[in-house]
Amino acid sequence: MTDPVAILGVGQTRYRRRHSDKNTAELVREAAAAALADAGIGLDGIDLIVGGVAPDALAGLANIDLMSIARPGIPYMRINTGGATGSSALLAGMTWIAAGRGKAVLVVAVERMGHATTAQNIFNSIFDPIYEKDISMSTISMVALRATLMMQKYGFTSDHWAQLAARNAAVSALNDTIERPRVFTADQVRGSAILAWPIHALEACPTTEGACAVVLTHAALVGDRTPAWIHGTGAFSDTYAMGDRFHRPEGALDNLITLERAARKAYGQAGITDPLAALDMVEIQAPFASSEVMAYMALGLCTPEDNVAFTERAIAGTAGVAFQPSGGPQACNPVSATALIRITEAALQIRGRAGARQIDGIRRTLSTGQGGATQFSTAVILGAEKP
Amino acid sequence: MLRNRDREGERSVAGSGRQAHIHGAAITTSWRDASRSLTDLIFDGVSAALADAGTPIAAVDSVVLAAHDLIDGRSLSSMVTAPAAGAYLRDEIRLSEDGLAAASFGAARIEAGESAVTIVAAWGRASEGDPAAVSRAGFDPFLQQPFGLSDTEVSAFRLSRWMARHGDAAEARAEAARSRRARAAANPAALRADSGARHESFPLRPGEGPRRADVVAAMVIGAAPGAVRIAGVGHGTDATAVGDRDLLAMPALRTATGAALAAAGLTLGDIGLYEIDGMTLADEALALESLGLCPPGGGFRALTADHVNPSGGSEAGWCYPAMGLVRLIDCYTRLRAAAAPTAGTPRRALATGLGAGGAQTATAMILEAA
Amino acid sequence: MDMPAAEPLVIPGNWNFDYRYFAGDTATRFFAELRDNARIMGTRNPVTGQVMVPARSFSDADYVAATEWVEVGQEGRLEVFSIIATQFPGLPAPPFIIGYVTLDGADTAVLNHVTGVDLTDIDRAARQLLRQPRVRVVFKDAREGRITDFHFEVIPDTGTATGTGAA
Repeated sequence: MTDPVAILGVGQTRYRRRHSDKNTAELVREAAAAALADAGIGLDGIDLIVGGVAPDALAGLANIDLMSIARPGIPYMRINTGGATGSSALLAGMTWIAAGRGKAVLVVAVERMGHATTAQNIFNSIFDPIYEKDISMSTISMVALRATLMMQKYGFTSDHWAQLAARNAAVSALNDTIERPRVFTADQVRGSAILAWPIHALEACPTTEGACAVVLTHAALVGDRTPAWIHGTGAFSDTYAMGDRFHRPEGALDNLITLERAARKAYGQAGITDPLAALDMVEIQAPFASSEVMAYMALGLCTPEDNVAFTERAIAGTAGVAFQPSGGPQACNPVSATALIRITEAALQIRGRAGARQIDGIRRTLSTGQGGATQFSTAVILGAEKP
Repeated sequence: MLRNRDREGERSVAGSGRQAHIHGAAITTSWRDASRSLTDLIFDGVSAALADAGTPIAAVDSVVLAAHDLIDGRSLSSMVTAPAAGAYLRDEIRLSEDGLAAASFGAARIEAGESAVTIVAAWGRASEGDPAAVSRAGFDPFLQQPFGLSDTEVSAFRLSRWMARHGDAAEARAEAARSRRARAAANPAALRADSGARHESFPLRPGEGPRRADVVAAMVIGAAPGAVRIAGVGHGTDATAVGDRDLLAMPALRTATGAALAAAGLTLGDIGLYEIDGMTLADEALALESLGLCPPGGGFRALTADHVNPSGGSEAGWCYPAMGLVRLIDCYTRLRAAAAPTAGTPRRALATGLGAGGAQTATAMILEAA
Repeated sequence: MDMPAAEPLVIPGNWNFDYRYFAGDTATRFFAELRDNARIMGTRNPVTGQVMVPARSFSDADYVAATEWVEVGQEGRLEVFSIIATQFPGLPAPPFIIGYVTLDGADTAVLNHVTGVDLTDIDRAARQLLRQPRVRVVFKDAREGRITDFHFEVIPDTGTATGTGAA
């Protein structure tokens, strides 16, 4: 077993629709400087910088990370796994430390999608150009296809999606990293335009820019500071082809088997056998309500038979675990950074530094990442205790 | 504040003690082969590497990729391409970096004990898109794009700086270009097809630019001992702004190589084989000067030495971001071929790989035959 | 130095790269069969025997080449769907339906447009589609060898699942 790794510092810019007053390097600097100050480490104490930037097209610039995140004299690499980019970047930093290549890693993810005037057009161009792109696929229709599957198979209704969206929106009002939280009711969700049935406009996350940074260190550098310790991690990739996931023996489209396997691996490392009992807080990289609900099953928090009732308890706040105390990606989803934000929010809660959104007694958390065609899944368990 | 100088004691601690070994590899080059889709080419290349290693796919637990969305023409490339590289239900990660950076990260997974067998793959299909336009999109939109700057122009700037100091060196350049054409012709993995006009801004001369190619490089590495092991890795990063860089000293490359040698406990004199990445002939030659393999001004002549780029370098087929991994595999196959070492056959090799943005990042790796 | 405050500068740009996507032999043959013979073809995974539609040259799951061709039926079941109801830049005018369909004889589902449902009331249309109706393939008369050479049409009064979710 390798030595423990800690999150010693975190930093975030505010998240807003467009940071037109800052260039990308300035955004990155703000988040990175805050994380380094939080960790008490200078940039010259950093052995590796891992940059997280997902599709170049959203920023309209190739390799925007080289202009903004890479620093002369410090080893650098960019991770790009779509929506999971932020968490994949953190896992890459952990690997570096576990390999003995260094003891302190700065992970920075930045999203500049405010540059894009036609984001869904770009999201169409992520699909297979030979068999699927011509069928007008977008990230929203991809999610809508899964939402209808949940409705067919388990009896979820549009009300569930609307209520969960409203719940996440209400919680996000306490999150001071979001410049303009949107608060709305389930009725307002249902009354908003249908984007791709059953997805309504208010369910879709707004375009958001911002940067998030995390300082990871070997246990030897923690000293008397208060870190969030990494207790377990997992990452798995699936086939791209959604059509291959209806009849396969490993698990169907709604089973999110890569998330299930990532979580199982992380639970094993953390010694967790009953996740609902062991976890105090969960941040799920789910930009839509139906994606959040699908994850409950994959994470072993409920059974397929119980998932409608469990979802209703999650909406009511009586599920026995705090879901999305930040408001989650439905409230704020800067694509390249969002999976790192899930981990950052968990670290803030464990360290008691989450401000108005702080929940008492958070000792163990789970954060997920999800990218591609619900394809790249990560799970990261943090804890207050040194493992 | 904790700074590196306060931590010298800690930093002298060795790595994890585990080492990554190369079990097999393959380079495939082609040009506009319409019979194969991009995912077909990747599947073919990775399957060839697995066959070379004698490794069944079931033994693989990790996949590390280097691929670029804009090169691949898929805005989230690995979504469509990763399964073709064996990612299905495995711990797969994609770097948007040169392929040697992916090899370094793959080795880190082995060193960390996270993986027993990892596939490392990198590719670029120049014939499917417009690599020059993609390169231009990587430069600053306010200050550089208005002038059409691309990696080729950065190479031209580098050469112009060199010529201001050392003159035109027409003869040495022509000899180096001839030499690498002959080497590429003898390289079984080199592209044979004519891939058309090369983009060579002055003072680059015809034949000094890269031969564009569709390239897939794949390698199987693992914790189990193999014929060749990864003995040291280093990374370097240069300033973002081209105007801030010392284009001749190439500090990112020098730092990366120095770190790789230090990690392996070796000096340049211990290395018997070099495969040095460069988009153009000038990039290759000037890299040799940056590394200290030859005196300033001697890069083009040094490029004709037998133990430097016997593959033919970028003349053998070139497409970002596969090339650092191609250079590494070129080293690997030669070290492996010399399994029964006789006097003069190399046992240790150095491969380098350069990143985008006019080589803003660099990776170096030392291989050692068992 | 005294400098007047300026509005943040916004420079317009576009992001347009030309590509020629090589479909490769397998997809080429799949599309040629669509165009020339109005047939839908799959390939068989030699490990599991499963038929993959649209045809793939290899299986992601078993990582083996798939070379045996199999014609599949022109009816099947709608697995999942969405009704696109908002205009997105660069995408067709709404409303329209997309869905994955498992054709008879195939073990994977293929994405395409779906017609045959009245879309004037979207919730009502959704209720009908949640029953996972049977659909049939409808070919265009003028086919060009693209995935859009056909679409699916709902066969009325079919569907076994009891979708209850369209509240």
